[in-house]
Amino acid sequence: MINVKELEKRWIKYKTKSFMIIAFMVTIIGSLIYGGYYILYKLDFSNKKEHKKAVMSAVRVVDEKNISILTPPSSTPLPPTPTKEPKKDIIQLAPTIPIVDFDNKEIKIKKKEIKHIVQHKKRLVKRVKKYKPKKPKLKKDIKPKIEVHKEEKIEHKIKKINFKITTNNYMNIMKQKFNKNKNPRDALLIAKAYYRAGNYKESEIWALKANNLDKNSEESWLLFAKSKNALGKKREALKILIAYYNKTKSPDAKLLIEKISSKSI
Amino acid sequence: MRKSKYNDIKNIFIDSIDNDNFVELPLTTFNYQTLEDSLNKPLKMILLFGRPGTGKSMILNRLYHNLKNIREIHYFDAPILSEKEFLKSIYESISSEKIPNNMRVNFDGLLKYVQNLKGRREITFLLDECQLYSEALMEKIRLLSDTRVVKFVITLHKTENEDIIAKEHFKTRIWEIVELRNASIEDLEIYIQKKLIQKGFVEVANMFTPKHINFIHHFTKGNFRETNKFLYTLFNIYEYYDINTPEKLLGTKLSKKILEMTAIKIGYIND
Repeated sequence: MINVKELEKRWIKYKTKSFMIIAFMVTIIGSLIYGGYYILYKLDFSNKKEHKKAVMSAVRVVDEKNISILTPPSSTPLPPTPTKEPKKDIIQLAPTIPIVDFDNKEIKIKKKEIKHIVQHKKRLVKRVKKYKPKKPKLKKDIKPKIEVHKEEKIEHKIKKINFKITTNNYMNIMKQKFNKNKNPRDALLIAKAYYRAGNYKESEIWALKANNLDKNSEESWLLFAKSKNALGKKREALKILIAYYNKTKSPDAKLLIEKISSKSI
Repeated sequence: MRKSKYNDIKNIFIDSIDNDNFVELPLTTFNYQTLEDSLNKPLKMILLFGRPGTGKSMILNRLYHNLKNIREIHYFDAPILSEKEFLKSIYESISSEKIPNNMRVNFDGLLKYVQNLKGRREITFLLDECQLYSEALMEKIRLLSDTRVVKFVITLHKTENEDIIAKEHFKTRIWEIVELRNASIEDLEIYIQKKLIQKGFVEVANMFTPKHINFIHHFTKGNFRETNKFLYTLFNIYEYYDINTPEKLLGTKLSKKILEMTAIKIGYIND
């Protein structure tokens, strides 16, 4: 008769082996599925690369057309670091400071200080306006009071000076930082600050600097075009934007083109 | 030790060519009919061709048993390799005379003897395992068949290399070729069921599901000899369990474990 016990042992061995094979196959299939997912993810990544390439080629197209974004325009020498900040603009520049918010905490603190000063200034002006003498006073008596008023005004001016110093410091810090690191983001922030301050010539220069360092920075393209437009070079601005839009299909670029075309900017 | 019913069941699948064990399948019935019809045609030689285990010997045996009372037919189930013995056997079959051991049959004499029977007798010889005969002997068989008195039905094994060689060798002489093939899944199911039911084991026949038949066909490829070997081993294991641990055989269907153990035992599955 057949040795069934021995055969049973062989069968158990076979089943174990089969189970191992199935487990291995499941692992392989699982790995393949995961691998496929990973590759798909990679493909998305490569699409981003392609997008980058498209922007790069857009830059090349612009270069071929001799659009001034890649070469410093003749009217704007490159890159003269401004020796003097226009004093009148200093107070106007104050609102541009929030741009730096996401850069570092120190500047945030400065921003709070500035806000506090502005509020204090407003309060002082109100007080001065509201001030009314209760009794009729002699000319002699009035004089000193007027002096007090003047003193308050002087104090107000002092605040302004402090404010100026803070803003100047900020711009200087940013420029120093840029000169040290050559970070396109810093250049862009400076360009933005100038643009908001209405100094379009400087914003154009700094946007160009940012673009030279990072050709893929959409903001630098848009800000450069906006600065051009603000300087009255509408046609040039549109040419740059259209070239950029044709390559990247950027909705922001399209919006800006429409805005410039309809003179709503 | 008590006797298990599985002992009788396993013996059904002992490979034999007994006419009692012949199972009529659509495929084998067709081949058998073709062969029988061929014998009525004025043909010299008929070739029964197929791989080992496709039922050549079984058909030849059935043909002999079915026709032995109708026509003059002789069956050589084992090959006679010696030319002397072969010619002696042919002469003895035709003449019904016993030749003494110290005498031999002269081929020319035999040929003349056969030619003299022309128009009076028609004799059929069924030769199994003809691939073992020598070229010279096959030539003598051909010459005897040319007399149109003696007709030969020969079986040949079809192997990978012999396939074309065999056909080439006989292509000018064979007038009818019947090729046998392995059973399909459906044929195999009928074969197993009929084998068991013929012997009265209906409940065992019902233990086979299409899944089991597929499993067996997967390994045996529908070859009858391989199937018999598989089923013999299967019921041998069943017999062991039935005697030693009958509680393991409570199911109404075949045990997958025992099927797999059979495949391991025969060597279809490597453990």
